[in-house]
Amino acid sequence: MTPFEEELKQALQRQEPGGDFTARVLARCAAEDAKKRSSLWHSFWTAPAWRVGAVAAALVLVAGGSAYEQHEREVKRETRGMEAKRQLLLAVRIAGTKLQEVRQRVKESEQIEQ
Amino acid sequence: MKAALLAATTSITATREAQAELPPFPSVVETHKAMVYSIAWQFLHDRVAADELAQDVFFQLHKNWASIQSPAHLLFWLRKVATHRAIDAARKRKAKAETSLEETDEPTVLERVHDSFLASYLKRMVASLPEKQRSVIVLRYQEDMELEEIAKVLSMNVSTVKTQISRALELLRGKVSRRLGKENVR
Amino acid sequence: MKRPFLKLAIIAISLSPVWAADDLKLPINLDKLAERATESVDVTLDQSTLQLASGFLSKDDPDEVQVKKMIGKLKGIYVRSFEFDKEGQYSMADVQALRAQLKAPNWSRIVGVKSIKGENTEVYLLKNGDQIAGIVVLDAEPKELTIVHVDGSISPEELSRLGGHMGIPEFSKQKKKAKKDSSSDAKEDEQEDGQSER
Repeated sequence: MTPFEEELKQALQRQEPGGDFTARVLARCAAEDAKKRSSLWHSFWTAPAWRVGAVAAALVLVAGGSAYEQHEREVKRETRGMEAKRQLLLAVRIAGTKLQEVRQRVKESEQIEQ
Repeated sequence: MKAALLAATTSITATREAQAELPPFPSVVETHKAMVYSIAWQFLHDRVAADELAQDVFFQLHKNWASIQSPAHLLFWLRKVATHRAIDAARKRKAKAETSLEETDEPTVLERVHDSFLASYLKRMVASLPEKQRSVIVLRYQEDMELEEIAKVLSMNVSTVKTQISRALELLRGKVSRRLGKENVR
Repeated sequence: MKRPFLKLAIIAISLSPVWAADDLKLPINLDKLAERATESVDVTLDQSTLQLASGFLSKDDPDEVQVKKMIGKLKGIYVRSFEFDKEGQYSMADVQALRAQLKAPNWSRIVGVKSIKGENTEVYLLKNGDQIAGIVVLDAEPKELTIVHVDGSISPEELSRLGGHMGIPEFSKQKKKAKKDSSSDAKEDEQEDGQSER
């Protein structure tokens, strides 16, 4: 590699994303998994042949279920919050861009008039 | 028949063994987040957009986790998906944050003597390269990939990769030479 | 020359079914435009959602810090944006119901620009005494329609100050850059096609 290429390599060193990146990715994946599980869960409960056994199983699950539900709620809140943030930044970006375009067009039309 | 069956079984076993070498998904995200984010950044030059794109890549990985065959395949997959998504996203945005080479600010006399300025100047010039050249430069010099690997990720011939790198370096050298003085270009 | 319009996939998180505040209502026929659009953006953020989002903004990112300050006084942000593959997929009649609402006394049109390329952009402010209580940007281009409503106390200057950050173009550098980018991309593709092995 030439010295110039070494400089280029130095200049293009990787950057880290924001501090909570991994947590956000995992929250999103967990939310997706929860959605899949709940649709499986729903079809389990509505299948008639399983209902008797399911009632017994449900009693066992309730005991351990509340901790899981709490975790699910937190994951859902975090997912919802992160999604709201994404939407917010998207909206701000669009609004900011449009206003800049307006300024540009006003300037262009003033220049044409001159 | 027996030999074919043995070969197929060996192949499946080898795949399973390779898959067993895959670290857990959270660890994969932590290990490779800088790589994916940086590839996105080189095309989008927008922290928010690069972060979103990087998240999308890992989300897609999570959905396709069962198809990842080995740690090497994982790396290839991440680079390929990240690069292609970044290129698509940049095309859609028309790279608003890019700075045209011609518009790059003239450095002051004092700045010319500092290598750290050269680094940031180079970054800005890479950002202004046409898409194909930028892709190969990023994969070659940020990701340290071999030409054959770059060719596979970008679905190009190796010769095209060589050509694009060569042209990009020529362009970059020329600009550095004119702006910062010939002594910086070797 | 292409303007830096953000092409985005359909994202619809409707947490509130109507555009709130000051009785500004989004015409229902706009939803039908999404069916004709190649890509559309649908963002509806009411006050509670803005507060939720605000809690997730990073304190370390200067852009997000600025956004957090800005949205502290807002009641909602609403965006509808449509991109079409050809002209004539919508008409100004589609937005007439909205423009009629913007003729109400408290709304003032502060910018109205028409270009020969068929771009028609209007900016409206809602005044509450001396205070700005809302902004609407209505941008109608031959193949794009964008409506942005920011409900609450904010000035166009605050949003404009984000230029050069978060992927928002900076005023006065866009046109030259876009011209140069498209011509250098085209040149590169021509050379690539004609290139031979070295």
